[in-house]
Amino acid sequence: MSEAPDEGAATRDDDAQRRLVRERYADIATDDSRSGCCDGTDESDDGCCDDSIGTDSEQLGYSSDDTESVADGADLGLGCGNPKAIADLEAGETVLDLGSGAGFDCFLAAEEVGAEGRVIGVDMTPEMVEKARDNVAKNDAPNVEFRLGEIEHLPVADECVDVVISNCVINLSPAKGQVFAEAFRALVPGGRLAVSDVVLTASLPDSVRRDPDSLTACIAGASTVETIEQLLADAGFVDIEIAPKDDSAAFISEWDDQRDLSEYVVAATIEARRPTTE
Amino acid sequence: MREDLMDIICCPLDKHELDLEVIRRDDDEIMEGRLVCTECGEEYPVEDGIPNLLPPDMREESPA
Repeated sequence: MSEAPDEGAATRDDDAQRRLVRERYADIATDDSRSGCCDGTDESDDGCCDDSIGTDSEQLGYSSDDTESVADGADLGLGCGNPKAIADLEAGETVLDLGSGAGFDCFLAAEEVGAEGRVIGVDMTPEMVEKARDNVAKNDAPNVEFRLGEIEHLPVADECVDVVISNCVINLSPAKGQVFAEAFRALVPGGRLAVSDVVLTASLPDSVRRDPDSLTACIAGASTVETIEQLLADAGFVDIEIAPKDDSAAFISEWDDQRDLSEYVVAATIEARRPTTE
Repeated sequence: MREDLMDIICCPLDKHELDLEVIRRDDDEIMEGRLVCTECGEEYPVEDGIPNLLPPDMREESPA
């Protein structure tokens, strides 16, 4: 099942890893105190400020137009970049979001692809998908659909998606190679992958690697640029470009109270393309 | 879920097509129903408008 190159997954079995991630994100989805958090007024124990996740969206690369165009409740500040900006979406395209959460990136993508396009969000956490579904009505987005599914076993037919996006999710998977293979299968020939995720820049100390919170906070499961490149190439992708974002240290260093995690990980844009002919 | 998205969903296990059995519909939206794999026969529920296409071993753990 698991693949050797996933450094961070070595200390945990795959099922346990999925369960941890699911429980953590179910808690986040059902925590109402999160709306409007990280503005200095949220003092609750479970608020994202205390857990040091939940980043200001404009720091991640979203414009104020982006954040204002989507109704409250979809943007949980859990990403590490702006996949829509990377993806360069065009009207009429079909977009698949891996780990869509409350739907923020899906709603932004829906604006780009317009009424002729469509956006499918897949997430394995029931509480997140319910939240996202509630947000469909708030955003008047009939071309966005959410479904419960696992990114390692995508419920999406072969060659029917123009663009796969994902925001700070693939690091959480214990089987990243399988995620990339599934994305490749779902993409049309010539289709593209546009992902924002954290990548490992230095070996994690054992204390960080074994810490379950460190896994669910997108650190312990991160892979190196070389590993991700190899996994993408193995899946069949070409034109692979992984670009670390140097300014991401500013928000990653705020993800943990005790440690400066920017010493170990950096946010990166990950782009690749399914070749037109194989 | 909307019926016109049927063409791009598939069984998460063997990637074959799914047949839709509608139990309750609300305008264009299927609120309750079942998606059945035409190949392996696995059934995936549609609950509150959300298709649950998690693999069976993952689905059993979920409260929904």
